[in-house]
Amino acid sequence: MLRITGGKVYDPANNINGQIKDICISDGRIVSEVEGGRTIDATGMIVFPGGVDVHTHVAGAALNFARAMIPEDHRRNAPYVRGERHRGGIGGATPTTYVTGYLYAGMGWTTVNEAAVPILSARHTHEELRDTPIVDKSCCVLLANNEILLDLLEAGETERARHVAAWQIWAAKAYGVKAVNPGGVAAWKWGKDAKGLYEPVPGYNKVTPAKIIAALASIVDDLGLPHPLHLHCNNLGAPGNYNTTLETMKVLEGKRAHLAHLQYHAYGGDDWFTMRSKSAEVADYFNAHPNLTTDAGAVLFGNTVTITADGPWQHLLYKLTGRKWGNLDVENETGCGIVPYVYKEKNLVNAVQWAVGLELLLLINDPWRVFLTTDHPNGAAFWRYPEIIQLLMDVNFRREQLKKLAPKALKRILLPELDRQYTLSEIAVITSAGPARALGLAHKGHLGIGADADVAIFNDSKDIARMFAYPRYVIKGGEVVIEEGEIRKAVEGRGYVVRPVYDEKIEDYIRPLFQQYYTMSFDNYPVELERLENPDIRSC
Amino acid sequence: MTTLTLKESPTVPLEAETLAPDVIAPLRHDAIAALPVFLGKRQRRLDDFFTIEGDGSDELEVRGDLGRVKWIGRGMTRGKITIVGNAGMHLGAYMKGGTIEVRGNASDWVGAEMTGGLIHVHGDAGGQIGAAYRGSLSGMNGGIILVEGSAGIEIGMRMRRGIIAVKGPVRDFAGLQMKGGTLFLLGGAELRTGAWMIRGTIVCLKPIALLPTFSYACTYDPVFLRLYGRRLEELGFSIPYQPDAGGYRRYSGDAAVPGKGEILVWKPQVA
Amino acid sequence: MGGKVTCTLGEVKNRADLIVYWGGNPAECHPRHFTKYTLTQKGKFVPKGRKDRTMILVDIRETPSAKAADIFLQVRPSKDFEVLTTLRALIKGQRVSAETVAETGLTLEQLQDFAERMKKARFGVLFFGMGLSMTRGKHMNSAALLSLAAELNAFTKFVAMPMRGHGNVTGGDVVMRWTTGYPFGVNLSRGYPRFNPGEFSTVDLLLRGDNDAALILGADPGATMPQPAIDHLARIPTIVLDPKVTHTSRLARVHITTAATGISAPGTVYRMDEIPLPLRPALKSPYPTDEDVVRRIYKAVAKKPAWFPGTK
Repeated sequence: MLRITGGKVYDPANNINGQIKDICISDGRIVSEVEGGRTIDATGMIVFPGGVDVHTHVAGAALNFARAMIPEDHRRNAPYVRGERHRGGIGGATPTTYVTGYLYAGMGWTTVNEAAVPILSARHTHEELRDTPIVDKSCCVLLANNEILLDLLEAGETERARHVAAWQIWAAKAYGVKAVNPGGVAAWKWGKDAKGLYEPVPGYNKVTPAKIIAALASIVDDLGLPHPLHLHCNNLGAPGNYNTTLETMKVLEGKRAHLAHLQYHAYGGDDWFTMRSKSAEVADYFNAHPNLTTDAGAVLFGNTVTITADGPWQHLLYKLTGRKWGNLDVENETGCGIVPYVYKEKNLVNAVQWAVGLELLLLINDPWRVFLTTDHPNGAAFWRYPEIIQLLMDVNFRREQLKKLAPKALKRILLPELDRQYTLSEIAVITSAGPARALGLAHKGHLGIGADADVAIFNDSKDIARMFAYPRYVIKGGEVVIEEGEIRKAVEGRGYVVRPVYDEKIEDYIRPLFQQYYTMSFDNYPVELERLENPDIRSC
Repeated sequence: MTTLTLKESPTVPLEAETLAPDVIAPLRHDAIAALPVFLGKRQRRLDDFFTIEGDGSDELEVRGDLGRVKWIGRGMTRGKITIVGNAGMHLGAYMKGGTIEVRGNASDWVGAEMTGGLIHVHGDAGGQIGAAYRGSLSGMNGGIILVEGSAGIEIGMRMRRGIIAVKGPVRDFAGLQMKGGTLFLLGGAELRTGAWMIRGTIVCLKPIALLPTFSYACTYDPVFLRLYGRRLEELGFSIPYQPDAGGYRRYSGDAAVPGKGEILVWKPQVA
Repeated sequence: MGGKVTCTLGEVKNRADLIVYWGGNPAECHPRHFTKYTLTQKGKFVPKGRKDRTMILVDIRETPSAKAADIFLQVRPSKDFEVLTTLRALIKGQRVSAETVAETGLTLEQLQDFAERMKKARFGVLFFGMGLSMTRGKHMNSAALLSLAAELNAFTKFVAMPMRGHGNVTGGDVVMRWTTGYPFGVNLSRGYPRFNPGEFSTVDLLLRGDNDAALILGADPGATMPQPAIDHLARIPTIVLDPKVTHTSRLARVHITTAATGISAPGTVYRMDEIPLPLRPALKSPYPTDEDVVRRIYKAVAKKPAWFPGTK
């Protein structure tokens, strides 16, 4: 039992905006009252629901591939030295699994959604998530380039596609559905891409990216999944791609969807030399369409590594940087590319990217629909979120940072004209309440009675980046996990899974196709539920 | 001067990055004795392993067979370390300035990723001298490494600036993925010299095996070598640079990258 | 520079029309490779199977695998790096020295033909074995092949994959990466992982005699490593966990018999393309699993006074 007293509470889901109020915790949940137990005096502090990351890459074959590719980054960053209550490891752009848990919890985040899981290697993802302590975890399975599904769409068999998708979600022990560059990754298997939303995907006659997007969004809605289709649009990173993004949003009318890392999809211009921000156009359309949520995918300057299932984009980035390139195509399902990258202030393209991420966060007027992410590790490592919070809350700080850009860049962006400043309550929305709602996790992202007792307590300070980087206390599932800047207890987190309804006979349809196209035994394909640590299954 | 004498050779590697003038110079004798070193996984005191004479100074003399003592002079910026005996791995890695002299042999990774200063090894050196650590984009970015004896594989790997000169023979992959700087191979090299080099110069005084991706350009007498020759002579390394003694055959490559590096192979004048 | 462009084996089965094996003898070392994944399988986009595919074998001697190949290129020992580097230049239309090429045992014409075939393939794959990765040049030979595969993507689709064997070596690599950030050659003595092959890799540690104890799991270095390394293992306290008596257990101080993973102990094995496969034991064993034994050793060690960097 635990009582937090004297702190200013920010619980936007329950309309609590900085009132001083006790928070009581018992058996891992928020309760109305407790007798006895520990009391934390939070006087002079602010109390937030634990952070929720709607889109991050922290586990699985692609990230683990990246880890091996960047020993120089591991050396550059401060090591995580083994202690009595925690393991040693590596921080940086691709933290090791244990350190991932420590670092997220260490800044007050208690739930993460791993955004890209192939079915074929989902067992690997779950093994890593199991070794990621403290935080609760969910993951999204990659379906938009799955050839069994694309073949069904080509044949117009949407009903059967729904059953197959539902079977696949459960096989991967996923929580949601991710679509990455729909059709483009399948085309990449021949070294090509899918750039036009209404042009057939190479190798198909009828299947277009638009058709895949519409079909998957409908399937997710029809299955009643708690989280809408999680979509990485076509043409990521390309100058002029805002048109594709606007077209994609039109395709999604009448359906729910979450647009991942919108920053990478809001560029104008014809090439790298003329690239400019089109955040206003994208934000305007987005603001008028409440069926959509998004996350920023913000960029911060510095070293990182880019990892995405978007193979063709990564090949282009490799050619642009001339450095290292990793690529891993996953049979019949998806692929991934890995390119280490440095975002530089004086680089025009990088300056536009940095500005667009912030602009979208400032121009999208409903904080309940836009969430704080860096598409970790693509835009920056997740442990740099406090720097973005400072940029959002302090217009003067933002203006100082703008001075570091090349003057030419200022004409390509809108950021200098934006003077909106986020309030603490809005920060609580974009870091916790909003993403929890978008993920359909009703017991997360708020501090009402019955909610999970995931709480972050920060100093109420003027130094925004510092106060959010070093919470005074972090409570996960009712246990104090971080205190005085130290890990007190590395508890185990839960794994969220959905079990959508499908016709059990669909396996008879999938099995022969699988045996024909894949290279392992069909019985070894689905992930056993026992592989998950504390599974929490949502029926729908 | 501060003198440190190894009591006995450790049974497992001893990591002693505290053996650097930057660390030791400001300290009194007692504080030097208490400096941390790592024997395997255990932290110990410097005086557990060394007899220490004198207070801190910019001049260190380290005596004994230090073949298992790693990271001596790591990141040093000033002063001088003289090692009377052998030195272990990573000697002078990340070094920025000052001098290290080894009156014995050195191991692998001498002067790895260094940016300035001078390292002079009187005996043999190991592999990867002046190299980039695994994954790093560039190796040494300034400074000079001199080896009187032989050296191992991958010397000057991804080096960007600076000079490495080796009197004895070197093994495979000298100047691997080199990006700049100059490598003097006075005693020749085994295979794959200059493999995948992008820029930079490798000067070889003995005939060597070249990769098929290097092509002969011309025979000439590069003016810049006279400057380098004079500087190296001061340091006790002599390369021929008088036109009447012969010329250098210039091979450009590596075409696999494709790169704009050069390998200059000395061809004495046939009398 | 650096990196790896690869895929899972099903991509090869469904798409590859040019299959190159380099420094390996799959016919004898990976006997099901041809039939299960590469040559004879009828794939989604190569419906005629073997007829739709071309196989090239590069090796220093004519092994039984050469019979399966359409083209066999016999390279002189220790010339693989030279050949691969030449191919990298040729695909880009760069000039090379025909005279020096001839020293590799192959002619410039042969290599030009090889380069053209790779560029014209629809989906090409380069498999490489220990005949490449463990001979003179070692990791640079692998790097040369991986670079060639990456660069071929400027012209067509190309991937590369090591032919790994020896039990679950891929699984060890995968787990090391997520727990330490590095695949192998990791040192944890300073309380966090450090990586430096050549310094911390097992064979190098043993050859220099840098370690004063050894715990050996799922490997038999006593059968495969150079004699001085084996001698060092015999000198120090060596503990072996293995279902059977091995060369290493004969020289070890302690051998603990464990249940055979995959036969009588469960777990996960990672295939050479890093696909995780569950192991379902068919039999029961009277012996504990490797995991049980390691946990018990860990528990006993944990009772000893703690050591942490900064403490004594």
